[in-house]
Amino acid sequence: MVDDPGNYLRQDHLLIPSITAGRKVKVAMGYSFKGYMRSDGSAGTRNNIGIISSVICSSTVTNEIASKIDYAVPIVHSNGCAQLGDDFSVTKSMLSGVAENPNFHSNLLIGLGCETNQVTGLLAAIPNVKPIDGFSIQQMAGGTNTVAKGVAIASEWSKDITNEQRTDLPISKLKIGVITTDMDEQTLAITTPVVSALIDELLENDSTVICSLTRRLEPSGKILATKTKDTRSKEMLKTLSEGLNRRRWENDEGYALSVFSDEEKSLAAHEARLLGSKDLVELLNINEKPSNRGLYLLKSSDNIVETISNFVSVGCNVALIISKEGILTTSNVIPCISLAPCNESQIHRDHVDFYIARGNEEKQTVTLLEKLLQVSSGELTALEEYELGEFAIPHIGTTF
Amino acid sequence: MKTFDGYRRPDGSIGVRNHVIVINTVGELSALTRKIANLTPGVIPVIHHGGVAQFPEDHTQTLRTLVGTAGHSNVSATLVVGTENDPIAQEIYKILKKKGKPVHTVCLNKNQKIPEILHEGRSWLLTALENSKKEVREQCDITELIVGLECGGSDAWSGITANPSIGAFSDMIVREGGTSVLAETTEAIGAEHILASNAINREVGREFLDIVRTYEHRIKQTGEDIRSANPTPGNMAGGLTTLEEKSLGCIKKGGGTPLKEVISYAGKPTEKGFVFMDTPGYDVESVCGLAAGGAQIVLFSTGKGSPTGSPIVPVIKIGTNPKVYEIMSEHIDINAGKIIDQNKSINDIGKEIFDKVITVSNGEKTAAENELNQEFAIWRLAESI
Repeated sequence: MVDDPGNYLRQDHLLIPSITAGRKVKVAMGYSFKGYMRSDGSAGTRNNIGIISSVICSSTVTNEIASKIDYAVPIVHSNGCAQLGDDFSVTKSMLSGVAENPNFHSNLLIGLGCETNQVTGLLAAIPNVKPIDGFSIQQMAGGTNTVAKGVAIASEWSKDITNEQRTDLPISKLKIGVITTDMDEQTLAITTPVVSALIDELLENDSTVICSLTRRLEPSGKILATKTKDTRSKEMLKTLSEGLNRRRWENDEGYALSVFSDEEKSLAAHEARLLGSKDLVELLNINEKPSNRGLYLLKSSDNIVETISNFVSVGCNVALIISKEGILTTSNVIPCISLAPCNESQIHRDHVDFYIARGNEEKQTVTLLEKLLQVSSGELTALEEYELGEFAIPHIGTTF
Repeated sequence: MKTFDGYRRPDGSIGVRNHVIVINTVGELSALTRKIANLTPGVIPVIHHGGVAQFPEDHTQTLRTLVGTAGHSNVSATLVVGTENDPIAQEIYKILKKKGKPVHTVCLNKNQKIPEILHEGRSWLLTALENSKKEVREQCDITELIVGLECGGSDAWSGITANPSIGAFSDMIVREGGTSVLAETTEAIGAEHILASNAINREVGREFLDIVRTYEHRIKQTGEDIRSANPTPGNMAGGLTTLEEKSLGCIKKGGGTPLKEVISYAGKPTEKGFVFMDTPGYDVESVCGLAAGGAQIVLFSTGKGSPTGSPIVPVIKIGTNPKVYEIMSEHIDINAGKIIDQNKSINDIGKEIFDKVITVSNGEKTAAENELNQEFAIWRLAESI
């Protein structure tokens, strides 16, 4: 066993002159990153153009437009038509939330024309704080015309982006999503001291941290309920801890409820410590944006692509993904820093950004914070380098 | 007996295309799968975001769809990208091997570096592409054809021109011993009694009414009215006023031959003749189910003009009126609007569709294939876990 975590870390994690290694974690107030300030007060860690399809039928045209424009990111998905009720509401709010994400400088919405999720409805739902336009393939009389018009509009935005510079912004402008996946007790034991200390430190510096509440964490609802003063959240968390409850149609009630096992409860109790020592402001529903700064939980699924995309829609500008062995997907809108535990048997993986070892947690927390700031300032994550970004909308119902 | 030139597979099935595809088992691997395809021109990516965090009914449906897609007769060879010890990848591999289909799995060991994974996938695909070029078409009997029947972006003309013409085609191919598969359960609501009364026996009629009832049950449980999503805004702009009106037009795609069988989403017909598949009215999910169930070609009527296709089957678009054919011609293959302004009969257009099915089966590309429309989405039944 090697005690010095530096032995496990990549060299570039250690070249941080501004932090004195080994001392109690304390980041000076006013600590900053270089980002893009938006007119609504939010901050981007990337400066891209969202080319957003309202429905799967316009995804090919959306991809084609994005492929022709610098800084353009295609937001394509399998939803947008023949949806009802809450399932449709999630799709609509998800897409409007994505357009609002501060990492987008501007947005172009592309529809088919006859779909349930109309571009005009999306345009009306998205606050008018940055360049935006939208139209449909049927309105433009075909894909060729749609691509031509889309490219003409987005090209102008692309020129604007070329001239924009990052500026120093306070760490309080960061809205950090935190998700765990593929977890076990050993992974939690190694990563929790560092991640929880980082979350505490971010909150002390007025950042916003949004942790995903997945099926794995739900059994700890009663523990989490003690961390919040919000009555609605308390009740929701207690209810969630009673058993897995999701919508399905295998019985007359229209949902499924199964009780959590002792093993699941034990793992969830471990994972609850990851959130750190600060109070929880609120539990957010899917797509619900935080109303203020602080620590939040966000209802999420175990589908990693859906959950990362959910972070995008609630305004996160960067995310941490903690897993046993690293993951092979990321968001195409926000940088996601992949964290994994390190032990002697594991070899270096090129898709992991940061390894956490046992011991010397304070030094590692400082280094991880530096990594977060560097990535927020423009350094590409491993999965960004490989261009493995994806987007998906959570399903909470069936299509018709 | 009418014939076409297709690819005969080791399991005896016939393909009208000879695609090499790469398909992911779970959402986490979608981007990596797309990247492998991008590195190998000529290979088609089949991408989805499911496979995880699903209830058993969704898991079963996802697996059935992936197996049907990966093992489709239009596919020459399949690379499956899965996680380490991935049960979905193992199942697909086992079934495809048994069929004699060239298949390889890249089951990711996360200790592998990404370039190694990409290299392994690309190397296998390059060989598969080379091998696929050596395969030649041979004369096949039309009885081997399974044609899916779909509509999307319907308007008031759909039930007057394109859908009855598809119905005429359906009757022709069934007469020739082939199979047509009507889909979209939602769009039978209000007209289900007509299709049920056309069933070959009471049991098939009851099965059909059961799937419509199940659908209505699901709708009630959302607390919503299906009519708030269907007819869609586009349908209404096209002159349709109610779901019943839309359904009466939709079922005309089935023609007049008796309904032989009702099959589940992505299920394979066991009978030749006219069959119904239980799918949603959501076009791309419905086409995906038809293809996974073995349809080699899908007919798709459209009143508003839709560009969507499929990664593995040619989708033939049939415009319902002269205007949509004129302004959306890059996305439409056949103009059923000639019934309105060129004195053509429903049977004339049915025959034109029949001839088009043969030429497309022989290799002619459809508008959706030319535009590289390869949309793929699996019908989800329940909330993600």
